Amino acid sequence: MSMDTVLFWFLSLIVIVPALAVVLLSNPVYSALSLVMTMVGVAAVFATLNAYFLAGVQLIVYTGAVMVLFVMVLMLFDLKHDLQTFSRGKVSGFLKIAGVGVMAGLLVGAISLATKKPSLIVEGSPLANELAAAAASGADNTKILAENLFLRNMLGFEILGVLLLVIAVGTVALSRSKGGTHARD
Amino acid sequence: MQEISLLLAVGLNHYLILSAILFTIGLSGVLLRRNLIVVMMSIELMLNAVNISFVAFSKYNYNPEGQVIVFFVMTIAAAEAAVGLAIIVSIFKRFKEVNIRFFEHLKG
Repeated sequence: MSMDTVLFWFLSLIVIVPALAVVLLSNPVYSALSLVMTMVGVAAVFATLNAYFLAGVQLIVYTGAVMVLFVMVLMLFDLKHDLQTFSRGKVSGFLKIAGVGVMAGLLVGAISLATKKPSLIVEGSPLANELAAAAASGADNTKILAENLFLRNMLGFEILGVLLLVIAVGTVALSRSKGGTHARD
Repeated sequence: MQEISLLLAVGLNHYLILSAILFTIGLSGVLLRRNLIVVMMSIELMLNAVNISFVAFSKYNYNPEGQVIVFFVMTIAAAEAAVGLAIIVSIFKRFKEVNIRFFEHLKG
């Protein structure tokens, strides 16, 4: 059993068990902490897939920024208990669980169909050669990633910048309306 | 013998199945939970599941486009979290509770 295999099974445990805890625990603070664990696990999965830069970005953006945002908002609310954790109604609950089951079945079916043709590698293209060479030499693919992002996807990158600006202004406007977050009306 | 090799040789399908399990857990969270913050956390779970499958495809197909898409998805997810939490704060300010049934009173 190679090291990669052990690592994969360990990491999938690290990712899936806290993900279940996010959904099943009734205290939202515990859910947030479990979600942090899941995010760290996903970052480690990225690292096993040789996406080291993305692993770092995942750690910084998700576990650093987004989760701190979640926990701060949770602290703002002072929710010690979560009344009525799960949705009511036996029929609608059964329908929802059945919907989740159908989704899981579709995904498993799609994957098992895809196993017949496991890979779509475009052999011989210059990009594939370049990446294979980079992977063989042990170099990380951050340079290739940066070239792809800034040369081929520049428009999307700039649109994302504009989007982030709009989101920042909109969020401040939304949370400052009617006296801000500390309004005691 | 097939089961043994399935356990030992980790390939693209293993990552896809991990991603599918994570996505399904997130979907069940969105459908079943009533707390708005936990619903948003479940949405983050689903986005992470999709990111895993993108990165796995990117590695096994030697194509960096997938990782670029993951960048974009992460940015959109951060923006979505900011806006969603602002909306949740505004709901809490009005109703003193964060339950999804108050969403219908959001207009006006």
